[in-house]
Amino acid sequence: MANIELRGVEKKFGDVFAVKPLDLTIKDGEFIVLLGPSGCGKTTTLRMISGLEAVTDGQILLDGRDVTWLHPSERDIAFVFQFFALYSHMSARDNIAFPLQAAGMARDEVKQRVGQVAALLRIEHILDRKPGALSGGDQQRVALARALVRRPAAFLMDEPLGALDAEFRETMRAEIKKLHLAQHATTVYVTHDQIEAMAMGDRIVIMSAAVVQQVGTPTEVYHNPANLFVARFIGSPGMNLVKAKVEAGGVRLPGGSLAPVSDRWRHALEGSGLKDGSVVLGFRPEAVQVRDGGALRAAVYADDLHGGYTMLHLELADGEIIHGRAARDALNALGSAVRFDLDPDMMRFFNPETEMAIPS
Amino acid sequence: MANAANAPRQKVVISTRVDKVSTGARLTSSFRATIAVIVALIMLIPVAWMAMTAFKTRPDAVAVPPKVFFEPSFEGFVSLLTSRRQLTNDEIAVYQQRTDLGWADQIALIRGQAITGPSAFPRQLLNSLIISGVSTVFSVGFGVLSAYAFSRFPVPGKDDLLFFILSQRMLPPVVVTIPIFLMYRQVGLHDTHIGMVLLYTAFNLSFSVWLLKGFIDEIPREYEEAAMVDGYTRLQAFRKIVLPQATTGIAATTVFSLIFSWNEYAFALMLTSDAARTAPPSIPLVLGTGGIEWAAIAAGSLAFLIPVVIITFLLRRHLLRGVTFGAIRKG
Amino acid sequence: MRYVNSSNVKGRPVSQVNAQRGLSSRQETVPPAGRRQLSDMRIVQLFILPTIILLILMNIFPLIYSLFLSFTNYSVISSDPPVWVGLENYTHILSDPDFWHNFATTGTYALLSVSLQTIVGFALAMLLRSKFTGSGIITTLVLVPMMLSPIVVAVFWRLIFNPSFGILNPILGFTDINTSPEWLGDPALALWAIVIVDVWQWSPFVMLLCLAGLSAIPEYLYEAAAIDRASAWFQFRRITLPQVMPLLLIAVLFRTIEAFKQFDLVQGLTFGGPGDATETVSVELYRLAFQGQFETGLSSALAYIVLVVIIAISNLYIRALNRLREG
Repeated sequence: MANIELRGVEKKFGDVFAVKPLDLTIKDGEFIVLLGPSGCGKTTTLRMISGLEAVTDGQILLDGRDVTWLHPSERDIAFVFQFFALYSHMSARDNIAFPLQAAGMARDEVKQRVGQVAALLRIEHILDRKPGALSGGDQQRVALARALVRRPAAFLMDEPLGALDAEFRETMRAEIKKLHLAQHATTVYVTHDQIEAMAMGDRIVIMSAAVVQQVGTPTEVYHNPANLFVARFIGSPGMNLVKAKVEAGGVRLPGGSLAPVSDRWRHALEGSGLKDGSVVLGFRPEAVQVRDGGALRAAVYADDLHGGYTMLHLELADGEIIHGRAARDALNALGSAVRFDLDPDMMRFFNPETEMAIPS
Repeated sequence: MANAANAPRQKVVISTRVDKVSTGARLTSSFRATIAVIVALIMLIPVAWMAMTAFKTRPDAVAVPPKVFFEPSFEGFVSLLTSRRQLTNDEIAVYQQRTDLGWADQIALIRGQAITGPSAFPRQLLNSLIISGVSTVFSVGFGVLSAYAFSRFPVPGKDDLLFFILSQRMLPPVVVTIPIFLMYRQVGLHDTHIGMVLLYTAFNLSFSVWLLKGFIDEIPREYEEAAMVDGYTRLQAFRKIVLPQATTGIAATTVFSLIFSWNEYAFALMLTSDAARTAPPSIPLVLGTGGIEWAAIAAGSLAFLIPVVIITFLLRRHLLRGVTFGAIRKG
Repeated sequence: MRYVNSSNVKGRPVSQVNAQRGLSSRQETVPPAGRRQLSDMRIVQLFILPTIILLILMNIFPLIYSLFLSFTNYSVISSDPPVWVGLENYTHILSDPDFWHNFATTGTYALLSVSLQTIVGFALAMLLRSKFTGSGIITTLVLVPMMLSPIVVAVFWRLIFNPSFGILNPILGFTDINTSPEWLGDPALALWAIVIVDVWQWSPFVMLLCLAGLSAIPEYLYEAAAIDRASAWFQFRRITLPQVMPLLLIAVLFRTIEAFKQFDLVQGLTFGGPGDATETVSVELYRLAFQGQFETGLSSALAYIVLVVIIAISNLYIRALNRLREG
């Protein structure tokens, strides 16, 4: 296993940046997720690491070895494709053996290795079938086996669950995670699904418009988004973002109610050089505490029953809708006025000009 | 992370679709089917008539009014495949006594003729086979290489080049033939197998590049990429992955290319005279000793058409692609 | 300054700084020529080389050669070398009423056969559109004619057209040989005879494309129309026709180009006769170049004129196709 280092790696198509210069160090055995909307450059980044795409500039190091200009076959990495890229003219067994044959491995050893990896993924019973006769999940297992059998320095996965049904996706998500834990293999995983990223990644690299927005653990990117993009992108629904004014006692929301803030935040906000006190207040739905006598006012716009809890859509005085989590038995007539407080520990602030988070 | 999208959804078990067809609609549809069958049969009358004529005797073939019912005979095939000599009355008497005559000789004897040897037709058929076979191997071979390059790489001036390649197919053969005729005469390729193979290869290459590019475009790039990541060079990936994946396309292109060269008439008429002459320019010229031998011509046409008809059935799923140079694909 | 999470040192938001660096002050390092890029380029070159060589040898060179010849007075059967005559061949052809007659014949032929094929082919497609038992086999059977060699087709149609023992006249109800039409011998009918054969052979082609177009029409369009109580005619005019139109257009253009090239059928059925009633440009070109005086220079000029016309038509085709793909 190996660490991967990107130094100022960039990709241009003509004059357009697909990936702006990017530095990233992926530690040995780490599971890192590249996350972002389509066209953000995450797949291009992955393909540059694999060598399938040539870099426009920068350096890629694998365990300190410069592989920037090596052919993909010389990099000792495995790639799992979104649509599996299983060869339909070969059986599952031959598909798995294919990379070993490239290395000219002896037949006995190939057989043994394929057997091992098939046992690991519990696909021994389907080895003689052609990919066309396999379910999506089994195809994915074969594709994973083909990657695993090589024992490569790193695994690169490009939306490997994107082509699966929702049902299979959750199963396979757990399987990949478990495999990773067992193999402790450096893995770079591309997805546009933030739930997948949160569930799987040791760290998440969030990209948008060819630029890395934030690198951090799932908890960090969820609770402490680096900017408005990350705040909106992570979470379902995303973070509530409300325009507010900094005042003496706290921040004033549209409609006049004042949300108190902690001393720590008050200092941070004062020292952050906001233009005439304008700030964006961010808070997750679970920070909303609906209760009589709360400091903030809103009207119930809609409520979604989720079984375990209720997601309230609350309309603020300026028409802005925010989401708040409430107990599953909370009953609120549509249009009725409610009062709520915000958990002071869960409030975050952003500079509306730069869109960046204000450090506390 | 609870999420609405991942919440278990209730499965729809009972289909709400009702397939109820009214009696009137069913009648219309069977009426339509009947009409279709009749139309198809009418369309096939010419081919059927030719096939029948191939098995008629010489007089039956030109009987007035045309004979629909007749006693089948192989006279047409004998006339097509042999050259014969008219016997004198004395000779006929001698021949009639002989017991060592084969069935073909006996058929010839009915017209007072003796078979002297094979005609030129078998050799021309063989020429057709050799020339279309070899040129197909080359045009598909070169075609698959170029198609791969055009499909996967940004070749400079690709669109112009592809259009130029296609435009070769749009030219009337006579236009292309005049300079080629001169060129071939210069270098001694006129009426040679090599000359015809070269011409048909170039002629079919435009077709095979276009058709194969369509097929290769449909093979996901990930296939080769996976192979390359797995330790294969691009050439190995091409050989081990792309070629096997393109088998259907290559087979279809091969057969189309075969049919095109097999059917080709104008080039063969103008660029061959004897040694490399193929069957198409000869079929209209199968003349008997006394006027046009329709039974022989029909027999020749039939021998020529049967492989094409069989292939049409084998190829039916790819016909649309083939006849439009791969421009149109059905899902 | 940027927000860096306190608890994690390695979680670095790095890229925006780098992006700025990338735009302004990045040192310009030229990447070393990659082995992969080189080998891929080599493969491309190797792979298209045979095609390019053959194209140059068998297409480009001959075309340039015949362009040169078209400005000369030359015959392959004479020992005299080509003599430069400038535009004389072209002016000769363009001022020759025979040429215009041939062109008119070709145009008439193209118009008649293509329009009839379109109608018959479309009708066949409508007929074979809905599936019934054996419809697959019927469809393939109908497609057989277009796969056959045109010269062989011409030959057996000659047998069918024959005024005394042909089968067409009896089928059409002409039983008296003296009054029945002489399809290939009558100047008024000969062109029609060729049109009939061409329509017989190539209507299936139009049908094939129309069937592809028809099968791509989503069923819900008809369902919606039925709910709106649209008449059958309205459905045909507002749904079927516009949806099939693009493919029909391609079929028409393909066939038009082929009609302008027409040589085999004419040669096989009438040799351009009787008189010059069916002498299309291709047949005239063949006669000029390969029969009689072998007028190579003059025929090259005629070939180039035909070439320009065909290129104009095929350009039309490509443009229509592109518009189709974009739309």
